[in-house]
Amino acid sequence: MTILLLFGCVLALVLINVPIAVALGVVAVVAIVVSHGVDSLPNVALTMFNGATNFPLLAIPLFILAGAIMNASGISRRLIAFASAVLGFIRGGLAMVSIGSSMFFAEISGSAVADVAALGSILIPAMKKKGYPKAFAAAVMSSAATLAVIIPPSIPMILYAVMADVSVVQMFVAGIVPGILGGLGLMGMAYWFARRHHYPIEEVFRLARVWATFKDASWAFMLPLIILGSIFTGIVTATEGAALAVVAALFIGLVVYRELDWKHLKEAMIEGGVQTAVVMLLVATSSLLGVYLTEVQLPQQLAASVSDYTSNKYVVLLLLNILFLMLGMFLHSAAAIILVVPVVLPLALSVGIDPVHFGLIVTINLGIGQQTPPVASVLMVACTIAKADIWEVTKTNIYFIGVLLAVLLMVTYVPITGMGLVEYFYR
Amino acid sequence: MLMRLRTWFERLLEVIVMVLMIALAAEVTIGVIYRTMGISLAWYDEIASILLAWLTYYGAALAALKRAHIGVPGLVQALPRRLRLPLVLVAEGLVFGFFLLLAWVGLEVMDMLATDFLISLPDVSSKYTQSVIPIGAVLFIIAQALNLPETLRAAKAGHIKHQAEAVEVSQ
Repeated sequence: MTILLLFGCVLALVLINVPIAVALGVVAVVAIVVSHGVDSLPNVALTMFNGATNFPLLAIPLFILAGAIMNASGISRRLIAFASAVLGFIRGGLAMVSIGSSMFFAEISGSAVADVAALGSILIPAMKKKGYPKAFAAAVMSSAATLAVIIPPSIPMILYAVMADVSVVQMFVAGIVPGILGGLGLMGMAYWFARRHHYPIEEVFRLARVWATFKDASWAFMLPLIILGSIFTGIVTATEGAALAVVAALFIGLVVYRELDWKHLKEAMIEGGVQTAVVMLLVATSSLLGVYLTEVQLPQQLAASVSDYTSNKYVVLLLLNILFLMLGMFLHSAAAIILVVPVVLPLALSVGIDPVHFGLIVTINLGIGQQTPPVASVLMVACTIAKADIWEVTKTNIYFIGVLLAVLLMVTYVPITGMGLVEYFYR
Repeated sequence: MLMRLRTWFERLLEVIVMVLMIALAAEVTIGVIYRTMGISLAWYDEIASILLAWLTYYGAALAALKRAHIGVPGLVQALPRRLRLPLVLVAEGLVFGFFLLLAWVGLEVMDMLATDFLISLPDVSSKYTQSVIPIGAVLFIIAQALNLPETLRAAKAGHIKHQAEAVEVSQ
């Protein structure tokens, strides 16, 4: 009953357009005052401060910044040229290039919106120019961008790892195979479309061109690979790796490509700072509510009441998948993770679901949520670039969403898909 | 006048956010370099965490000015004007109320923490690090107040600005 009342109040405030972070804070303050009295109010300030001093979350601004600097340094163009040399000979070459570049860009960026904004602004107009329908161009770019949150680094994964108190590194490693599978699946679907609608090939395969574009782009994806490697092997933590990624991005932008200017760097820092603050304010106010939830053991009560009906792991996984797919349609992924993960995690643990496995499932679900209207941040950006109607694009995108759903089901019910590497290297 | 004040305030917050982003990246990098040389800086993770908290609250004020906090304007926007305006006022009132409370309790806590010091830097009082709560709350209130005329105009006209355009790169 209490949980319904709490979430009902948060929902009511959110629906009248109170920012979600403030809605959480207001409800938490009322709950704290009701249960502990006015004298406990100074704890609000302490919790709001401590909630924002979370060392692993430092990786978020640093990875956002590194991605923005890399993008401002002209790496998108180089990654696209390399992807075109490797994949452009296949029918529907530009669609393949879009997916391939997204996979490369995903190892630099942890954000699907950054991915679609950086690559889509080049590739969507290019596809339209070659005669691809704008709905297809937007759909393929949008769904491919989801790979950015599955392939490491990934901002939602960092957030989940902190909320669920699991290793960021294990979360990153769990995303590698599903990310590659997702990429290959999307390419397969794009190929099917290309054969059916006779989309053109992009360029003839030439090894010399592959080598030339590889040399030009090598800094852009080798350096992030080295940094990810250092994180995976434990030489540095995810946060430290993120700081090294910023240094590497600056080195590439200022010394190697010499395309990064102060104006872009300034914009990247301000954008990165604002986006971090928005997520972190949510984290801080949710920690306020978290204190109350922990005290009254609400998540544990929820787990117990669901366990009364079923303790079958696969049924619970199905229910959680449906919950997160629905949430993804209406909530931004950061908000969904911060709000819901602490509440449902005890339930997942109580039926024996591995928290890293669960995190991967949540991430893919919310990645799909970025493709499903009405709240579909990535799809919106792709549609804006393509100047296409969101529902028209969705009619085509539904096929690509189908591929991502297949990956989700595989990850959910064949846990080795994501967890194989984690089990092999870390357990 | 209001526009000039707004521009000046935005520049100020942007400079603070940039300085904090540079400080964060530099501090963590220096920490890694020192550790690889075999010298661990005792204060490295405590200071980095404090910088993140500072970035959170100064950045949150800038995000409020840019109306970048995640919200759901759809329902209010769809309502008739006579319902829309009171609900917008309630929402704004709650935001102001929450941050006023935070500023007040933040100041109270600063007094309490006057004799509390950082673990890794025992000469630095927690009062200074914690100051970000009342300062950040006041800056948030100023940002919200600077947006208020436009918010009310939009509410009357039925064009409530989408709040979450800028946040989405964190998705």
